[in-house]
Amino acid sequence: MGKFITIGERIHCISPAIRAAMESKDPEPILKRAKEQLDAGAVYLDVNIGPAEKTGEDLMKWAVTLLQEHFDNVPLCLDTANKKAIAAGISVYNRAKGKPIVNSADAGDRISYLALAAENDAICISLCSKSGVPADNDERMAYCQEMLEYGTERGMEPEDLWFDPLCLVIKGMQDKQAEMLEFVRQLSDMGFNSVCGLSNVSNGMPKTVRPIMDSVMLAMAMQCGLTSAIVNPCDLRIMETVKSADIILNKTLYADSYLEL
Amino acid sequence: MPFKRTPQQFAASIKEVTIGTGDKAVTLGGENVFPLYSFDAPISNPPKVGVEFSDTGPDRSVPGIAAFYAGADSLGDVAKRACDMPGADFVSLVLESADPNGDDMPIEECVALCREVAEAVSLPLVIQGSKNVEKDAKLFEKVAEALQGKNVLLMSAREDNHKAIAVAAVMAYGQKIGAESSVDINLAKQLNVLVSQLGIGGENVVMNLGTAAAGYGFEYVASTMDRVRGAALAQNDNMLQMPAITPVAGDAWSVKESVAPEEDFPEWGPAEQRGVSMEISTAASVLAAGANAVILRHPDSVAAVSKLVSELM
Repeated sequence: MGKFITIGERIHCISPAIRAAMESKDPEPILKRAKEQLDAGAVYLDVNIGPAEKTGEDLMKWAVTLLQEHFDNVPLCLDTANKKAIAAGISVYNRAKGKPIVNSADAGDRISYLALAAENDAICISLCSKSGVPADNDERMAYCQEMLEYGTERGMEPEDLWFDPLCLVIKGMQDKQAEMLEFVRQLSDMGFNSVCGLSNVSNGMPKTVRPIMDSVMLAMAMQCGLTSAIVNPCDLRIMETVKSADIILNKTLYADSYLEL
Repeated sequence: MPFKRTPQQFAASIKEVTIGTGDKAVTLGGENVFPLYSFDAPISNPPKVGVEFSDTGPDRSVPGIAAFYAGADSLGDVAKRACDMPGADFVSLVLESADPNGDDMPIEECVALCREVAEAVSLPLVIQGSKNVEKDAKLFEKVAEALQGKNVLLMSAREDNHKAIAVAAVMAYGQKIGAESSVDINLAKQLNVLVSQLGIGGENVVMNLGTAAAGYGFEYVASTMDRVRGAALAQNDNMLQMPAITPVAGDAWSVKESVAPEEDFPEWGPAEQRGVSMEISTAASVLAAGANAVILRHPDSVAAVSKLVSELM
């Protein structure tokens, strides 16, 4: 297993600046956010264009080309409910720095995103859920197996299904956290790649607390074998945690300046 | 079940560094397989062998070396002769006299010697310093300036003087540098990080990871080199993907096994043969651990190691 893979989450249409930029196809705000995240050490960038039912194909092509042209074919994670838009984005995607990631499939209504990934030789984030939050790890594992079967039947390599155990908010679901970590361990023991949307865990906590909670959760999940996460790379504490954990887990060789790399 | 061989090629590769100019320029690195594993993928630039001599001339106390350089009196003549040694890919001048704790030769005189050698050689030139951090920083700056256009490799930039040497040698005068650490993987990486933070790309940097004669702590050298190459290829660590060069001769010719006279140890046989054996066995070992170039003194060692390399490729 290689170094931990961070997927920068900050190109997201929920942000007013990004939404406006996507509507008017204004490159500057998007490039600025991309650069900030890459400078901070993000490996992949998530590109969330929202549902984009009408303009999605055109918009995703534009965004993929824009980002890859400006940032040396940066690998991207294509994030929208519009499957045609994902396919359109992949049609102009350059794989020099890594396969595209489809974000995301689940074992329910969204299972066909795996077919989309299979057709396009892409990685697929695969949420271990069907309708709502899984009750326990047996349920998570059942969904995981369903998706694995569905994907591999369509020609995907198991390593291209990045299973998401579903991080749950700590406030209100504190008793579920250890179980989620245990599931990451199970995925790792079976040799699967994994991913999680980290910031969920600290939802509703004060701003001063969130980076601490997110970083500690990330470190604990990495120890359990988590291989990637969707994070805010501009959060210094998170990136310091990832880099330090990669050193402790011997994924990369230590040097005094390791935090600057 | 029949055995199916899977070539172990990596997506990462060692960077290429070229020293010298014209037809005789040599390129180190470029491979995407473990050292000497040419059965996994072709190694486009096989390891290179360099011939070392001091600024005081070759070590004429060793009969085979004395015989090879017979009649070559000036340093320029020595340099020219070294280029004709069968198996030599490059030559290496050691500025031994520059050492402030020794002859403390002034920098201008050292530069003049370097000029004389650079004019005389037909092969690429690698210059080793005085081993004094302060002196080398000043010395290499002047040498880099004087030899502009020759594309020489200046060993050694260390943690305490890398900035001065790297800026002068690479950025101002377009030479190559050797980043020297002494058998310390973390420092080896750190030094490359510091050099890269100056804006210097890996195509200008060769690593000297430190050495020891076989039997004198060599296992630390071997494991360091192994680990560095493993990180470079298997972990795609671009801060360790520089090619490695190992000056073998200095250690090999100074240990007891190489210098003790035969009359003291008659059962050991002729001293010269022991020195050659030490030089060859150390060189072969560092090549197996990942060196892209070795620097040797004795004509017999140069011939044997270059034959070893060519027969393995």
